[in-house]
Amino acid sequence: MASSQHVLLSPAELAYLHASLSLTPPIRPDGRSPTQFRPLVAETGILPGTNGSARICFADGTEAIVGVKAEVERTAQRPGEDTIFLEEGGVEGGDDADGDGEAREGVDKRKGDAAWVEMTVEIPGLRDDDSGTAFLSAMLSEALLSDGEFAKRLWINRRFHWKLYLDIILISPPLSYPLPLLSLTSHLALLSTRLPRLKSEGDEDPFFDDDWAAAPYLYPRTTPTTTSSTSPTTTTAATRPPITLLVMAVGNNIIFDPSKEELTVADVALAVSVTSTASSTSKPHTDNADLKEPDTEAGRNLRLLSIRTIDPPSRLTPPGVANAANAAYGANNGAATGATQKMLEAQTAETEAVEGVWKAPRGGAKRRVLGALVQKVLERGGVVDEVLDALEAVDLG
Amino acid sequence: MADRRRINGPAGATIPPVFDDASTRGPKSIKSRSRPANATRKMYLKTGVTPSASGSAYLEIETSATPGVSGLKLSCSVHGPRSLPRSAPFSPHIVLSTHVKYAPFATKQRRGYLRDPSERDLGIHLEAALRGAIIADRWPKSGVDIIISIVEGDQDRETSQLQGDEVWDMMNALGGCITVAAAALADAGIDCVDTVAGGVAALVQDAGEDSIPTVVVDPIPSEHEKILAACCIAYLPTRDEVTNLWFRGDLPASDIDLYTNLVEKGIQASKNANRVLVGCLAETIQ
Repeated sequence: MASSQHVLLSPAELAYLHASLSLTPPIRPDGRSPTQFRPLVAETGILPGTNGSARICFADGTEAIVGVKAEVERTAQRPGEDTIFLEEGGVEGGDDADGDGEAREGVDKRKGDAAWVEMTVEIPGLRDDDSGTAFLSAMLSEALLSDGEFAKRLWINRRFHWKLYLDIILISPPLSYPLPLLSLTSHLALLSTRLPRLKSEGDEDPFFDDDWAAAPYLYPRTTPTTTSSTSPTTTTAATRPPITLLVMAVGNNIIFDPSKEELTVADVALAVSVTSTASSTSKPHTDNADLKEPDTEAGRNLRLLSIRTIDPPSRLTPPGVANAANAAYGANNGAATGATQKMLEAQTAETEAVEGVWKAPRGGAKRRVLGALVQKVLERGGVVDEVLDALEAVDLG
Repeated sequence: MADRRRINGPAGATIPPVFDDASTRGPKSIKSRSRPANATRKMYLKTGVTPSASGSAYLEIETSATPGVSGLKLSCSVHGPRSLPRSAPFSPHIVLSTHVKYAPFATKQRRGYLRDPSERDLGIHLEAALRGAIIADRWPKSGVDIIISIVEGDQDRETSQLQGDEVWDMMNALGGCITVAAAALADAGIDCVDTVAGGVAALVQDAGEDSIPTVVVDPIPSEHEKILAACCIAYLPTRDEVTNLWFRGDLPASDIDLYTNLVEKGIQASKNANRVLVGCLAETIQ
């Protein structure tokens, strides 16, 4: 599994790292602040043969490429209330249940299916059927599909849909847990994805405009109309693809975007997926929340999509031996003590924690810590806003 | 490349004909939940069902869609701890490997014999949940295999078509997997800090789009109109710790209480499962 690759750090080094990360404020090995990300280089539209593509390169040399390709596919018909019969053809008012056509336009009759999106993750050095790879791709596609809105974008008409292939390739060997990198890259690739403009109407066989310049974006753009925007030419997508952040807790500290060494001493690590939607498309049950805080000065409506616990590799690290139990420092556990005595000593050595001696964490995470991690991610004007702002600056070509 | 040497059936699934009938024409009725919102379904758990394994357990959860008919059926066997092969690198801890496999006939849509990505995903979730519970440093240089087969999935058999609720079924399956694996681990005599048990809670909307969503424990997707979010939690009751948390859905970030409430209810469901687990283990000892 990718998160639990063996890191060659001795117990003494692990103890030091853990101690320095639990200070207030934490001291990270690369001198970043707890919420700071690693610097990265991003570009989009690098693959001309795709509908959308992106590349991100972290400063430590890890690099990922994502290509999005779309194909038209016939939707499998199931007998049911919305079966289309041949004689019905492309006629819109096929069923008379929903009043006039004007009202039907407003009603979102699009349907989506999770099977319309296929995501593959390729990581060098790992087998295709490795469970770590399966976990990563399940996590990324879950974030994409869990609101049920994304698949609806792929709907063409009642008989056809787009099938979207998202191929994520990590070019470099994984120097750190690659989840944030892959997530940010696929975010940019989806933002730059364009599908040909549909010319046919209704349930006809789809027919597309061959002018690529007219192709609309999968995530439609709006020009910000607020007076605060200095450059009116920039367009931003109101609804953004999800981003998945890796957060970990050491002691009382919450650390974002941990490197491989930092993840090795994590008490608990979470992958949290969030997205931002346009405020107007908020669902009914969010209205209460909107009423409570009518400010929304950022105009960004964050939504929590998925959370997964990452099995921290710290559980697999070798434990240190305290001086008191170390024969080299005169600990008396030689031949003089009996076998039962030895057993007892082993038991106590197992349970008691000695200051400055590394011991792999045991048990789970406290409820309070998990809650604090999620709250820190979701807070207004926090890291998510920063990351989304930074990604907005990337030129989408 | 298409197979040209054999005469194969059609590539896609075939659909049985459905005839218009007075009973099928009627509006699709969603069976409403018959239990209170904070009650889990009845559960049957038994350890020591596979004599050849060092530990095993069997779990069955009733489906309340049709009372009395069993739903989720899980069988778990634990092999080990046993020594790692000579070629394996040194490990100071026990090497845990988990396999979760649906039987080909367990769900409405047939599963192949090879594990598909969703089953691998379940395996990783299970591994994360159990690794927090096992005291791994008591068995250096050894490995243990935990194999779960889902004999019958948790699906309502009366509905004719797939409703896209397989993802929520996966959460129910994971909750059961964690509980049954904890029972099998205890049966195998592998030291754990506590008995870990899985619980599921969901935020559901029952009366139309505009209704106020409610939090229920142990949801059955076919009983609810729409599931907005769900979470599966593996919980250690005596230490009050969570070893695995899996949330999916769509919640406004401004309303963190909704999320906290969901997690609390998940923990409550997991405590209920733990009571069954402890009762079952106590029965085995006698």
